Amino acid sequence: MIRIIFRKELKEIFRTAKLSWMIIGLLVLTALSVYNGYTYYTTHSQLLQESQATTYQQFISQGNKNPHLGAHFGFYAYKPTADLAMIDNGIEDYTGNSFYLEPHKRGIIKFREVTDATSLKSFGFFNIAYLIQFIFPLFVFLICHNIFSKEWENGTIKMLLGAGAGKFQLYAGKLLACMAVIFMIAGIIILAAFILMVACTSTILPGFTIYAAGVCIFAVIMTSIAVSVSLITRSATLSLVILSGFWLTGVFLIPRLSAEISRHAYPAITSVEFEENIFREMQYGVNGEGHKDERREKLLQRTLAEYHVDSIQQLPVFFIPITIEYFEESDGKVMDRAYTAIENNQAKQDAMVRMLALFSPFLAFRDFSMHMTATDMNTHNDFAEKAEMHRRKMGVIVDDFYQHHVEATNDFWKTVPQFSYQPPGIARRVTAASGALTILGCWILAAIGLMFFSYRKLSV
Amino acid sequence: MLQAIIKHEIRLLLRNKVLVYLFTIIFFMLLSSLWIGSSMYHKQLSTIQKIKDYDTEITDSLRQRIARIELNHMVYPGFIWDDPTFAYNTARNEGPQFAVKQPFPLQALSVGQSDIQPFYYKVNITRKQYLTYDGEIENSFLQFIGNFDFSFVVIYLFPLLIIVFTYNVLSSEKEQGTWVLLKTSNQSLARLITFRIGIRYVLFTFFFWLIVTMVLMILIGGQFFSTSNWWWMVACVSLYFAYWFTLSLFVNSFSMGSAVNAMTLIFIWLFTGIIVPNILQIGLNKVYPIPSRIMMVNEERKALNSYFEKDGQELTKDVFNNPRTMIRQASVVTPGMVYGYGVIVYKSQEIKDGAAEVAERQLYSQIEKQQAAIRRFQLASPALMLQEQLNALAGTHWHQFNAFSTDVDTFRKVTQRFYFPKMAEETTFRTFTRQDADRIPRFQPKVYAGYDWSYLGRSTLVYFFITFGLLGIAYLRLLKR
Repeated sequence: MIRIIFRKELKEIFRTAKLSWMIIGLLVLTALSVYNGYTYYTTHSQLLQESQATTYQQFISQGNKNPHLGAHFGFYAYKPTADLAMIDNGIEDYTGNSFYLEPHKRGIIKFREVTDATSLKSFGFFNIAYLIQFIFPLFVFLICHNIFSKEWENGTIKMLLGAGAGKFQLYAGKLLACMAVIFMIAGIIILAAFILMVACTSTILPGFTIYAAGVCIFAVIMTSIAVSVSLITRSATLSLVILSGFWLTGVFLIPRLSAEISRHAYPAITSVEFEENIFREMQYGVNGEGHKDERREKLLQRTLAEYHVDSIQQLPVFFIPITIEYFEESDGKVMDRAYTAIENNQAKQDAMVRMLALFSPFLAFRDFSMHMTATDMNTHNDFAEKAEMHRRKMGVIVDDFYQHHVEATNDFWKTVPQFSYQPPGIARRVTAASGALTILGCWILAAIGLMFFSYRKLSV
Repeated sequence: MLQAIIKHEIRLLLRNKVLVYLFTIIFFMLLSSLWIGSSMYHKQLSTIQKIKDYDTEITDSLRQRIARIELNHMVYPGFIWDDPTFAYNTARNEGPQFAVKQPFPLQALSVGQSDIQPFYYKVNITRKQYLTYDGEIENSFLQFIGNFDFSFVVIYLFPLLIIVFTYNVLSSEKEQGTWVLLKTSNQSLARLITFRIGIRYVLFTFFFWLIVTMVLMILIGGQFFSTSNWWWMVACVSLYFAYWFTLSLFVNSFSMGSAVNAMTLIFIWLFTGIIVPNILQIGLNKVYPIPSRIMMVNEERKALNSYFEKDGQELTKDVFNNPRTMIRQASVVTPGMVYGYGVIVYKSQEIKDGAAEVAERQLYSQIEKQQAAIRRFQLASPALMLQEQLNALAGTHWHQFNAFSTDVDTFRKVTQRFYFPKMAEETTFRTFTRQDADRIPRFQPKVYAGYDWSYLGRSTLVYFFITFGLLGIAYLRLLKR
């Protein structure tokens, strides 16, 4: 009986002009998202790869210079385009990808593409992830909203039950038919994403399988909710209005509202205050360290004692690089504290948004998607940390050289290593996505609960 | 008759529990969005006050420090790089001034680009503001999610509310079986249905503006009343609502079922509000690709490297290997070394600015082209059009931030002209006085809320005619029913 109902429902769904139009629309939108994702990935990854080589080449061929002056010329550390950015570019355009490696100052990640974007950016970036997160659920709701309600509206429910179909058989048949159609749609999108990934990288990335599994889970949640609402309301219109409202609330309202709540719960420090605090701590020291001039004098006395000489002129090494290296370390601690405070505050903001994702499976899936494609905040912070480590390493190399030489040639510049960044592996991505996965798990339970509730309502 | 329809409509709307609940939720959302927008506006004002305080403190400190050195026969007891009588030191340390874009009160209604574009810059002689700008310390993840402001509520949520409000104005009569009854009456059905939609529109819009005006008066004061921006805003938003009410009437005039009406309207909302802007974005990025700022940096560095191959080499040798500038190089920083660095920085900056100019022009011309295309094509999406209009009227459009950025760039050149002759001349590099401190160029903050550049009047007029066209067609169709 389940098979008969399943076939009947499939026939009905496929017979409607609605589905044909939807599939045409879906194919057009998929093609657009594939094109957009491909263009984004290829242009960005090529530009960043080339620029990383160019900036380093410029650094190592800068010619004869005072080592410190040459170090200020520095070079950039560019965050490579994430391996699955063709599917989801996450927050890449909002974080920037360039970290300047020069002495004294921790680099701030620059060139956020969003600052040069037009207002169209606020409508989102149309790629596979956008299609799955925003448009796909609406397709699910439009297809499934009347799966049960039509039987009441057409008065065919009595006929169905009278024809010997049990409650469970009816429910299972309809649910499976919806699942089959939705999985077909999800399959088209996943296949497009797969082709896109292979076209861009010529490999099958392990993260993709987990991503595809996540899409399937998301599809199951959406379909279960739509079918249940259709049964509970028994009205196609009301069901459509409720599901559209749920979509709107989950996709736009909760994420934006939770972002605002977290901004107010954990307000960010202003740039002016941030700079002022850093300057004060560097200049006047912390925990009774004393003013920078006092610390410089103490350093000189220590250095003179170390080399058993009486004056700076007698030192066998140059004193300026020693000062630079010393303050690089103490100022580094000040900057570390300041940046860690910002990161901690942002982590609290992010955690609050994620917590509120309990009310929106769309937000939870978006979070999962960004973690799996390594276009999330964790990866960004990881990159910033690695780039900062490289900046300090570079500072030590230059200052050590500067203690004995006043001029550096290209031979020396070549001893400073090039920067390269490896994004987190699959295990770290899954760990980062565990919160989002837990919330999606909760939504599966909620969807099952809703199905049970609606099933009990299945009576004439 | 009209009075009877009004009474009937109000009774009908109040009886609809779903609608009442929905209205209550949307009402609180509207309040929240206004509160969020106004708190962002107040936060900007408070940041600007902090900047002013900081500026006063730092300028006073600079004057006092110079006075102490002058009294001490030009001997500075601290580190030479902190000595403010060197023009180069002041240019780096206390000299950089803040350039501020004064917020416009109506930006509480539309955040626009103000969350991603800076409303103030610290203007440095060396680094161009576009390269060093990082703006306020914002969480990129939250920026990515977007803002919950008035314009978001109006552009996205209200059309859906209007759809819920009107999708079955005709179809419900058919589904409830009252259609035949109405047809047998001596009243014009077309007029009746149009009146019903019209009454709903008037009630909806009236209460909307009543709430918004009162809440805004409490949150940001009443000064916005006297601006033409506000009245344009009222006109544009009211027209947007009218468009959606009329569209709903138009869809209703096809006499389809309630579910089909709702689905059609939701599809139109999705297509014009999300799909069209995205397609436009794809097209514009293809036709006018915006080059990355990384290219600009590469050009700057390339020019700098070629300069240091010859002329720069001579200059650095002069600075670092000249006994005049150093007693024992790399151990003791001498005044000559500070001067030498000043000269190198000045020269390098001239070269970098020259090299970046071409790339910069290319970047901005592409953005300008995209913006011009958006102005042309915005009519394809009412949501995009209203967003552009609201941003322009609130002073948060890209165009206004770009005007501010251009002014800041001009100010930076003025600042450079002030410092460069002082720091790169052997006779003046250590003669920075209190009078010079008073003469440091300052940026005059101003409000950027003009909208002459936008096609505001034209686009509003076009939508006015579209709305009336739809209304006319719907009315004629209903007459035939």
